[in-house]
Amino acid sequence: MARVTPSKLLNFISPKIHLYSRVSKESCNLPIVTALGQSFQIRERRPAAPKPRFPLWFLKKERVQYNESLTVDNKNFIKEVSHDKFGPPAIISGLSTYDTPSPLKEQPLVKGEWTENTKRCGLITRKIGCYPMWDVKGRLIWSTLLQVVDNHVVSFIPSENINSERKNRKAKNPLGALLIGAESCDPQKYTKEYCGLFAGAGLPPKRFLSKFFITPNAKIQPGTPLYATHFQPGDVIDVAGVTIDRGFQGVMKRWGFKGMPKSHGVTKTHRRGGNIGGGGEKARVWPGTKMPGHMGNKRRILRGLTIWRINTKYNVLYVQGLAIPGETNSIITIFDTILPLRKKKQAPAYFPTFYPSDLDDPLPEDLYENSVHHFDAPTITFEEPK
Amino acid sequence: MFSNLYRQCLVEKHFVYNLFPLCKWSQCFASSQPELATESTIQAFEEPEKRSIKLEQRFIYPEFLPDPKIEWRNSIRERLERQDMLKRRSQIEIPEFYVGTIMAVTSFTPHSTSKKNRFLGICIQRKGCGLRATFVLRNIIDNLGTEVAYHLYDPTIEKIEVIRLEKRLDDELFYLRDALPEYSTFPLDMEPVILPDNTPIPVNTTQVILKPRPWVGRWERTDFKGINREHMMTLISDKMKMQIAKHQKPWEKYDLMKQYRATIPEEEQKEIFAEVYSQLHQLELGKKKSKRIRTFVKPKKSA
Repeated sequence: MARVTPSKLLNFISPKIHLYSRVSKESCNLPIVTALGQSFQIRERRPAAPKPRFPLWFLKKERVQYNESLTVDNKNFIKEVSHDKFGPPAIISGLSTYDTPSPLKEQPLVKGEWTENTKRCGLITRKIGCYPMWDVKGRLIWSTLLQVVDNHVVSFIPSENINSERKNRKAKNPLGALLIGAESCDPQKYTKEYCGLFAGAGLPPKRFLSKFFITPNAKIQPGTPLYATHFQPGDVIDVAGVTIDRGFQGVMKRWGFKGMPKSHGVTKTHRRGGNIGGGGEKARVWPGTKMPGHMGNKRRILRGLTIWRINTKYNVLYVQGLAIPGETNSIITIFDTILPLRKKKQAPAYFPTFYPSDLDDPLPEDLYENSVHHFDAPTITFEEPK
Repeated sequence: MFSNLYRQCLVEKHFVYNLFPLCKWSQCFASSQPELATESTIQAFEEPEKRSIKLEQRFIYPEFLPDPKIEWRNSIRERLERQDMLKRRSQIEIPEFYVGTIMAVTSFTPHSTSKKNRFLGICIQRKGCGLRATFVLRNIIDNLGTEVAYHLYDPTIEKIEVIRLEKRLDDELFYLRDALPEYSTFPLDMEPVILPDNTPIPVNTTQVILKPRPWVGRWERTDFKGINREHMMTLISDKMKMQIAKHQKPWEKYDLMKQYRATIPEEEQKEIFAEVYSQLHQLELGKKKSKRIRTFVKPKKSA
């Protein structure tokens, strides 16, 4: 729930009020005195859902899977063509995909230099479950496993294009955007236009697409695969996902109200919210009153989570906490945190991203944060005081 | 801090609110085990040798089977979990045990003065899958019922000893909280009883006598075999007796879908145990070897 800033609040009420109001700039909970001398209060109002907008790359994705009455030979031929184009089907780090040969057609981009204001791209992951780990002092750490699912850079959108697409933007966005795709699919599943999105990068169509705003120095060549080692253990990230859809819920579940007694003369009002407004001058239901309604199925961001461990074989990140939004097997996007105190102060180990070809030896299967206990390490002991 | 928190002594009544969800979960998991695959059906398809290896393992290592709830399953997570479990098992010997087994756990804890703690008690519950597996030990210490919940794969556990390997008639023994104290009192210096190899696990058929009400659970509505029913009926009111029939669900044993949702299919079980079998077998062999070395003790000269 975001607080409405005083200036926004005034715009919301009426521009006239501005002249007569005594609203302090620090707090918006003070009473507003109108021209007529009446005072009323607007406390908090939940921000409205953002206007639904098509993404920049919007194209018709799914097509009708009507029966094309193809012969077996024809079907095999189509398969052969797509395998010729995108490589043979393969299981890479536990996921079925295409073994796409290096699709870089153009000269690789020159790697940029990291500065403090740099914004790197993020990753598309799948939440695959939760399990406990212990730190070296024997304390329990709960972690959520996020698997990086076959991510590739699809295209780079320069900032000019973003600004021209969205004419109504007040401030020009100096950031460009990287379009990242996850989970390669059979091209027959999707429309021709949608498959065309990936043609430039030489990739098979991806099931999920996500856009990450980046500074131009963090640009990555389209077609580059992204791995879990884009991050390092100990990095702090923000995660965004769609919360579990709970449908229409009452106030007890949705807002944690206490409800009312089960007995002692109480009838027909055990799980109800009770009063929702007073009389007098505020004889109405105030904006933001907690009432029953639809719960969940909203995009939510959880900030400042530490990465405890990384599995390089299956591209799995072990992220702090159990509260990552969404069900198991749902899609979560992750990116470097924007929290000012936990943001990266030094250049990341791999910039703009991790390239396996840069390393002489392959990475070990498990990378741990320093404070995390390895499962194959001996039992944690505490020395007896002398 | 689940384990550390519960490791403190807990007075029995604090558990009242925790009891019901626990019961529900483990009951459906544990009771479903014997019904997984009847011996006769498997015999028809499988060679006897293979059968004995794979099907016994689901009782010895129940936590290697994932949670059957379909929404929470993910094959890669499960595989990673099993690998970590095996890594921990390479460091510590986690013995075969069942609900009803008397065990002693030695663990390191920063809070005690000696930094080490040994607790002996009867296992009253075993639940959770994968690394989340936990078990609860119960004993009565200084006339105070004490229960300690341990994570099976907690790296601060130094040693898990099985004192008396046996099963009870039920899959969880929370009714011991309401039973007379002698049923859950075990001396802390109990001598371990060693069973000869390849003997079937003995089943302890004790039927406990409950204390008068109030209880932490509605034991009269359950069908736990380990409660002396005749005596229990003398402790409850006529109204409670009348309500027993109302709360029974005799149709549930015919609910095939319920059973299906609460279990892992046989084919998948075989796949899982085929994956971990060689490593588990290696660990077992190592265990046997070290046991043989340990058993040889030089006889002392008696004066």
